[in-house]
Amino acid sequence: MEKAKKPIEAAPAPKLNISPGEELGAHMDPWWGLVIVVAVLAAVLILVRPDPYGRIFRYVTDGILVTVLTTVLSFLLVVVLGLFGGLGRLAKNKVIYGISTLYVEIVRGIPLLVQLIFWYYAFPALVQGIGDANNIPFLSDFRAPAMPMAIFGLTICYGAYMSEIYRAGIQSIPKGQIEAARSLGMSYAQAMRFVILPQAVRVILPPMGNEFVSLLKDSSLVSVVAVADMTRRGQEFMSTNFIPLETWAMIALLYLMMTLFSARIVAWIEKRAKYER
Amino acid sequence: MKKNQRAETMICIDNVTKRFGTLEAVRGVSLNVARKECVVIIGPSGSGKSTLLRCINRLEEYDSGRITVDGIPLDTAENINAVRAEVGMVFQSFNLFAHLTALENITLAQRIIRKRSRSEAEKVARELLEKVGIPDKADCHPSQLSGGQQQRVAIARALAMNPKVMLFDEPTSALDPEMINEVVDVMEKLAFEGMTMVVVSHEMGFARAAADRVIFMDGGQFIEEGKPDRLFSRPREKRTKAFLGKVLHVHTK
Repeated sequence: MEKAKKPIEAAPAPKLNISPGEELGAHMDPWWGLVIVVAVLAAVLILVRPDPYGRIFRYVTDGILVTVLTTVLSFLLVVVLGLFGGLGRLAKNKVIYGISTLYVEIVRGIPLLVQLIFWYYAFPALVQGIGDANNIPFLSDFRAPAMPMAIFGLTICYGAYMSEIYRAGIQSIPKGQIEAARSLGMSYAQAMRFVILPQAVRVILPPMGNEFVSLLKDSSLVSVVAVADMTRRGQEFMSTNFIPLETWAMIALLYLMMTLFSARIVAWIEKRAKYER
Repeated sequence: MKKNQRAETMICIDNVTKRFGTLEAVRGVSLNVARKECVVIIGPSGSGKSTLLRCINRLEEYDSGRITVDGIPLDTAENINAVRAEVGMVFQSFNLFAHLTALENITLAQRIIRKRSRSEAEKVARELLEKVGIPDKADCHPSQLSGGQQQRVAIARALAMNPKVMLFDEPTSALDPEMINEVVDVMEKLAFEGMTMVVVSHEMGFARAAADRVIFMDGGQFIEEGKPDRLFSRPREKRTKAFLGKVLHVHTK
């Protein structure tokens, strides 16, 4: 792209080279088959043996919603936090660079489970302690709401990883692009928004999609901090019905369905981003 | 002569120094460029000519000295952005925005900085594409254009901002020989129209045809300057002679 040496007078758009047959094949991603197999397996289990599988499914339905909600909300916040973290890691300003680097290094060095427990149990104790010491009733009465704290914890942790994804993506764009934008009079923010990020998105998208799938799986950890997600509902069902094999087979199938489905969506978006230019 | 007699200063470079670590790339250089003047800077690689050029729109921060463009000093961030909008820059490696078509490359800054409407910006862009000779490439992406075509789009992109000054940083160095002329022709046209230009280039043909002044730079300093004919045919300094000997040998024929 930078130094196009050869004269490509009439380069055809890449898509036009594909014959109709291939075009059809290219649109069918064979791995959708696996998603369907898993979904059908779950459906058959529920229909053929409503007891216990139908019972388990109905019991954890609200947990499915919690898992999806936690994952999606966290991910949206992570996408925003990661952008600022990534820009901070590229900042010339030493203070901004220092803070964002410290954040990334510290957060990446602590297990997610420990972080979640910290935000739910230790952080409120800290706030209450400060409130008691300074006689601020507002802080002394602080109670951590389970779900927001869990989303907060997931966001902080995944935001650090996402920062590095943004940083790498932005760094992959040749320096000449920002120089050209700045030389036309654009501010740093304008250059980022109109020139760098639209190009970096193609690099950022694939790892970002992987992060979504990881986040979906790691959201099961919120079950230990009083959030009634799919995993926690599974534990509750097991402890009252004593059928671990059936319970966890069902839960595993449900997770698998969701992750495989998301992975296909991610692959589809990646493919579209590639053809866009 | 094509130039008017009014010696009004457009670019004023006063004792500018730029260091990269311990290396002094530009050593206390001063230069005044008059309105409508075309100055060509030549010199061996590493002589600081590109660095000096990049100081004029502050793509390179200089360590000491003062630069004003059309009376505006390059000090505050606001002034720097204001100057950049008035100073068009053309790069060796084109630097077209890879995700945009030729037309969008030319309209983007017009719409953001000059606040022109889409139709107004596109009208300007199409006129400029006509001027640089590739009106039919408006909807091509940079990857579908040859080097010469990309560079001409880059020139059009800079011109769309109605700049008072155009800076060219080795605009033909990355081009195949057969494409150099199409870019040089556009540059000559601009010079004859009275654009104030500072050009870092070894295109002797362009310098002879369009330059009011040629400056030979080496080791971060100006060694010699003069009218192109005089400097190329009767260089006074030993270093100029040695350099021209090498370059002319390569470039003529």
